[in-house]
Amino acid sequence: MMLFSQTRGLPVLTLTEAEEIGVLRSLTVDARSGVVTHVRVRGRHARKETVLAWGALHAVGPDAVLVRSVAAPAEAPPHHELPGLRILAETGDQLGTVQDVVFEPETGRIEAVRTVQGDLPADRLLGLGEYALVVRAG
Amino acid sequence: MNELMAARSLTTRPVVTLGGDAVAQVKDTVFDAAAGRITGFTLSGRGLLSGPLKQSLPWSGVHALGHDAVMIADAGVLAETPVVVARREAQQGRVLHARVLTDEGTEVGTVLDVVVEGGTSGRVVGFRIAADKSLVRGSRRRRHRVYVPRGETLAVSGRALVIPADATRYVADDLPSFAARLGAFHDGRKEAPS
Repeated sequence: MMLFSQTRGLPVLTLTEAEEIGVLRSLTVDARSGVVTHVRVRGRHARKETVLAWGALHAVGPDAVLVRSVAAPAEAPPHHELPGLRILAETGDQLGTVQDVVFEPETGRIEAVRTVQGDLPADRLLGLGEYALVVRAG
Repeated sequence: MNELMAARSLTTRPVVTLGGDAVAQVKDTVFDAAAGRITGFTLSGRGLLSGPLKQSLPWSGVHALGHDAVMIADAGVLAETPVVVARREAQQGRVLHARVLTDEGTEVGTVLDVVVEGGTSGRVVGFRIAADKSLVRGSRRRRHRVYVPRGETLAVSGRALVIPADATRYVADDLPSFAARLGAFHDGRKEAPS
């Protein structure tokens, strides 16, 4: 179990050459399936953002992320930054904002979305867009 | 009971898909000819400089009307404006500023706003009115603004609207207490031998 906030800034290295390609900036989530689909990596010097598919990762550890391949994925979905995003119930009532996200680093599966009022289990997630994270009414 | 909302407060409320995207905001709320329920919303774009949209939102496309957003399944439920506006020209504008009479023939005020129920019903539950002195005694300087329940039967003619006389016993000064009064009003009607 790991938090999105703990992954931010982790060095991202290639598994075979141990070459650092940058630091982890953010995780892209597919709300309907409740998994992390892509990671965004920013180069330390070039400041260029690289998108990697979750499948290209070898391991997400407490101190570093190891990747098998740095090849760009076929298509990268639009990224919606979860931490700080407003949460709307499907009834149209706001439930605060996303504080953090709890996920399984082995599989990328989202376990819960952390809010000031408590954790929302991942099976309540309905959709994630530029305006809000929409969740099933509890 | 679902949260009550004044129709005017719905203006600028964002229209959000279940996918989390805000596709528009509410411009005006449109009611049916009997002022009984919401038939839809006209829309404007989001942001300061965006104007009215050609598309509007029929009530059938609303997933839920909430405190912070109007939820829709996806942008596909938006319809070309004439569908909704045809009804709007028949009605909107007519309820606002209409005189409110009881079925006993007393004039009690004029309509300032329409109170609707949030959620999925789209029901009109009452009106916010500028009350005449016959209804509310008090300050001479300004008229009182109160909420009155709608009653199941209601006649709307364009310039006047007739409510049951007993509805005037359930007026309230603000929306939370109006919600409580509404419950009492409907309970009272159920028990009344008629």
